[in-house]
Amino acid sequence: MQSEELIVTEGGLEMDTMFVNMGPQHPSTHGVLRLGLTLAGEVITKAFPDIGYLHRGTEKLMETRSYHQCVVLTDRWDYCSAMTNNLAFCLSAERLFGTQVPPRAQALRVVMCELNRIASHLILLGTYGIDIGALTPFLYTFREREMILDLYEKCCGARLTYNYIRLGGVAADIDSGWVAKCREFLEFFKPRLDEYDTLLSFNPIFLARTKDIGIISKETAVAWGLSGPNLRGSGVSYDVRKSEPYCGYEQYDFEVPLGASGSCWDRYFCRVQEMRQSVRIVEQALAELPTGELMAKGVPKIPKPPAGEAYAHVEAPRGDLGIFLVSDGGAAPYRLHVRAPCFINLAILQEILVGKKVADVIAVLGSFDIVLGEVDR
Amino acid sequence: MSAGADFLDRLLAAVPGSQADTPVKDYPTVRLSAPKDLLPAARLLKDELGFDYLEMVTAVDWLGPVNLGGFVSNPNPNPFTQKHPGPPVSPVAGPGVTYRPVLDLLWSFGDLVKNRKVFLRLEVPRDRAEAPSLTGLFPAADWQEREAFDLFGIRFAGHPNLIKILTPDFLQGHPLRKDYVHAKDRYDAE
Amino acid sequence: MVAKPVPGGQVVLTSTDYIIDLSRKYSLWPLTFGLACCAIEMMVAYAGRFDFDRFGVIPRPSPRQADLLLIAGTVTKKMAEPIVQIYHQMPEPRFVMAMGSCANCGGPYYDSYAVVKGVDRIIPVDIYVPGCPPRPEALIYAVMELQKKIMRMKLERTYGATVQAEKGSRDLTGEPA
Repeated sequence: MQSEELIVTEGGLEMDTMFVNMGPQHPSTHGVLRLGLTLAGEVITKAFPDIGYLHRGTEKLMETRSYHQCVVLTDRWDYCSAMTNNLAFCLSAERLFGTQVPPRAQALRVVMCELNRIASHLILLGTYGIDIGALTPFLYTFREREMILDLYEKCCGARLTYNYIRLGGVAADIDSGWVAKCREFLEFFKPRLDEYDTLLSFNPIFLARTKDIGIISKETAVAWGLSGPNLRGSGVSYDVRKSEPYCGYEQYDFEVPLGASGSCWDRYFCRVQEMRQSVRIVEQALAELPTGELMAKGVPKIPKPPAGEAYAHVEAPRGDLGIFLVSDGGAAPYRLHVRAPCFINLAILQEILVGKKVADVIAVLGSFDIVLGEVDR
Repeated sequence: MSAGADFLDRLLAAVPGSQADTPVKDYPTVRLSAPKDLLPAARLLKDELGFDYLEMVTAVDWLGPVNLGGFVSNPNPNPFTQKHPGPPVSPVAGPGVTYRPVLDLLWSFGDLVKNRKVFLRLEVPRDRAEAPSLTGLFPAADWQEREAFDLFGIRFAGHPNLIKILTPDFLQGHPLRKDYVHAKDRYDAE
Repeated sequence: MVAKPVPGGQVVLTSTDYIIDLSRKYSLWPLTFGLACCAIEMMVAYAGRFDFDRFGVIPRPSPRQADLLLIAGTVTKKMAEPIVQIYHQMPEPRFVMAMGSCANCGGPYYDSYAVVKGVDRIIPVDIYVPGCPPRPEALIYAVMELQKKIMRMKLERTYGATVQAEKGSRDLTGEPA
């Protein structure tokens, strides 16, 4: 800590504040985030996150794209979980059209989104480990993630940007071989979760770096509009899958894991527990996979929805992803706004970093699991 | 997602001039008549009605179809079909839409305990786009208002740090306004 | 390269160009520098399944220690200046790889007001990898192509050409060789 005695000497040793610039090129900012920090000794007195280094103007571009073309751009917001982005946009547009999605497509959407949640949280486990200094978990989590990507590739042909969930349904069907392969993966994956716990979650060094660091109280978390595991890590039970079920989430039995104190470790461990719940959901969905159509009838090639406004939100791996869509009756959205969870989660940094040591910045920042593609859009 | 008439009635009664608006599909929506009503309405929602979660701050520019000059090159050239050339931007409004020179601001508040949501709307003229800032009540408004300022040019009175957040420093204008015309900068083609 | 056993040991006869290029080729150290979606595929390439270490490609966190700049993702106008700065911080010989459609030409954001349409507008590029995002296999192939390119490098410049011209890429920075 900064000691007062150092400042008193006249003309001698003086404590002065120092400006430290982190980023946009920094290995631990998970992209192109820039942090301006003012330090007094080791303690941060002011933090100023500077974003926009990946601002691609997607909201503007979508005003000249047809609805089917928009789905392509949604993939690239939160590129770690492109499925949920597709889903949020499609739900919003379907609300505008009044389309009813067939049950098989609903179940497939749930399966894909939950697998994507696992894949996305695996990236966090790996990279957060690297941030803290544990290099090995990265290799293990990416091994499991590759298996999910193989499943995706088998189904829709893409590894990262799927464009799988379309307006009115999904693009491709799965066969029995896929289901068997998916079950095989789930059986392989369940014991791996315990392995992560022994390897990283309860590792004494990891605990020392993350437990009791970056504590966010319930009230602060709600006031700053946090969502997803960052909110639930503080003990607030809010999950869109429970509060406003979409795609038939109400028929699956799963729990919403909560953290105890809102520390970095709680936010991290919420995600580990969420993966267990996702495995449960996928198992249930695969057990009762309905048969039937994949696409709703009557979705035109150039859709022109009636004029109106719709809002739909989903529980993305990083929080409450909402799409506000305005149509003026034309073939392109008149206005599209993304309630990007990462963008809103990141704003709290300027408050909670103050008073922390500079060594904790990475631990706090990493625990928010930001993806800059979604922060800047 | 039910209409939740009780809190809506209280809100409408407490804020003079407000009226229930055509809803954002399935969600209760209230239109405010003047910018000065926003803070009382938000305070009522937060302190008495339990809506302590500010979900979203955004705006819609109702000037008309988007100006294609806002794009660096022809958006959507569509070289494959000659039948539908050009981007799918309709020059005329569909039924039920009137283009007018206003910015339609939208706030969404959530109640995490009772799973309710309410939208507030406010129209401000495009040339004097000003609204009170909610940063005093909801810290979550901080960056979202900066984003709306950056992309729409809406000035939020009382915001402590209303500066650009997403676009580069040298970008002139507010890109999400419908009449935005892109001025070529040093990174665009000559 | 000729190796001949002589009394008392072995002697290797080779040209300086060859031995230097060989060492460069097998110790390509890219900067850990992810911009957007492609960065995830880049990370996958470092991980166990595709294992970039086999090619001597080991990520370095500082531009001063790196000799390969992997532009993995969309280059926005706000990011353009930091990228040029990072490029100039790297020691020669340095190589640039544009990974993905965004870095090649703007990709899906070809008409966006905020995106630089191709990183070759600001720094010279050696290898372009197409795809959105490119698969890790494509990245591995690109590294192998870059290695072939490195093997053609000479210590002495042909007709006083700049480093960039020697490598066959456009010199846009106006920097002396």
